[in-house]
Amino acid sequence: MVVGITRLGTRTVDRWGGFLGQNVHVIAYLSEDADPDVVQGLVALLHRVPTVAAVKVVEPAQALARLRAVSASLGSDPKSLEGLEAGYFPRSVEVSLAPAADLSQPAADLAQRLRGVPGIEQVDAMTSGLARLASWVKLGRRLGFTLVAVCGLLSLAILALVFARSRDAGRAQAAVLLDLGESNAGVRLPASLGMAAAALLGGTLGTLLLRLAWRFALGHLEASLGIAVATPPPLLGGGEIIASLGLAFLLGLALGYFATPLPRVGIRA
Amino acid sequence: MIWLEAVGCERDGQVVLDTVTMGVAQTELIVVEGGVASGKSTLLEIAAVRRLPDRGTLWFAGRNVSTLQRASLPFVRRNIGFATPDSLLLPDETALANVVLALAVRGESPNNAEAAARDALALVGAEGLAARRVGSLSSGQQRLISLARAIAGPPPLAIADEPAAFADDDVRQRIVWALCAVRDAGAAVLCGTADDAFAAQMVEHGGRKINLDQGRIVGAPAVGLVPAFTPAPISVDIAQRVASSDADEGGVATSPATRGPA
Repeated sequence: MVVGITRLGTRTVDRWGGFLGQNVHVIAYLSEDADPDVVQGLVALLHRVPTVAAVKVVEPAQALARLRAVSASLGSDPKSLEGLEAGYFPRSVEVSLAPAADLSQPAADLAQRLRGVPGIEQVDAMTSGLARLASWVKLGRRLGFTLVAVCGLLSLAILALVFARSRDAGRAQAAVLLDLGESNAGVRLPASLGMAAAALLGGTLGTLLLRLAWRFALGHLEASLGIAVATPPPLLGGGEIIASLGLAFLLGLALGYFATPLPRVGIRA
Repeated sequence: MIWLEAVGCERDGQVVLDTVTMGVAQTELIVVEGGVASGKSTLLEIAAVRRLPDRGTLWFAGRNVSTLQRASLPFVRRNIGFATPDSLLLPDETALANVVLALAVRGESPNNAEAAARDALALVGAEGLAARRVGSLSSGQQRLISLARAIAGPPPLAIADEPAAFADDDVRQRIVWALCAVRDAGAAVLCGTADDAFAAQMVEHGGRKINLDQGRIVGAPAVGLVPAFTPAPISVDIAQRVASSDADEGGVATSPATRGPA
């Protein structure tokens, strides 16, 4: 359960990071004498960059229309923008980045390259906003790992307690069995197999619970937080499930074996 | 069934057993009588393959146990029922479960094991304790459970160290009948005691007595047969038949003729 929740939690945080990282733009403001062919060539080149989702050239008139629309949506008086003309706004190339958890570095890299292109006067990469977003995602991951580590330590503590108690009980039974002529393997094997079976059963139940409950719980959480992610919620892969069940089986086998101490009875030389 | 040849044992530089040669055959009952520090408990431990002798050879069912690897010894030991005053029992389990455990180790099926366990408890007069937790029983009752565990089946060889210690006359008689019943079922029976009365009763019921003093057999040499063994199932009424046949014949049963090991 702990391992499964850790993996699913990590993937969910990345997924949320991608959602929060949507609509990240790098805007390159063009100079007045920017060559149109150079601009078209730049747009075509930017389309081929893997982290770029969309590229758009924004004309001054479009920029003014956007400003008026945003101003109106915020409830401002339209008269405050009456004197503004489209000529005040430069042409720009608006680059939308593909959603990801941490876009600060890709945005910074792209901005750095664009600054070197002739005809581009200024580049705005939303760096401060992206840096804050990346910090929040990092904090979320660290909190998640801390919580998982605490749960893991608690689980280990409970396991150690159960192990110690079963060793005490197992010692007495082992002494009797050895005295009656049971072999060492015969003493340890039943407990070993029993614990392995219990671990396998527990692991299977945990996996089923995660599969059934995770999507349900995550859907409710995302709905309450207003997070609408297009991609489906993460699940554990078949290989991961088999590996974790195998590990649980081996752990149970080993614990059962060592939980049955062999006291010094039997043959005395 | 078991043959000890020139077996010797020392502890902390003291001789505990000194060149003891003896054996117990199928359907034979031998009681080793000796006082404190006579070496009888050590002798019984060696016969039960709970202790290895420092010298000599131990044979069990025609096989030289002394040459076996240690890992093989449990497979010999499980065929020997061994009851001592401080036998290990599981206190949280019932008396019946403790007796069944010995049979389960020997490979008996659960149904057969339970039936044989109940018979053994009845033989020693502890059938009423079957469902009780061993931890709640008195030390005397626990010794009866330990004896029942040693004779359940019966095993090819049953060994009891001081089985009637601190027992009253009725319980002692019951124990004698139980050990005789196990012998009559085909097992070899070896027991040790410091109690003259118990030894005498065993001899009355056809047993042979060996006196042990300071690790040596005193008196007549004790040799026995080491034949192949085919155990017969034990039943509750055997003890009663033994008791009634002794009353009819009114004498001591003679011991079988002796030879060296096969």
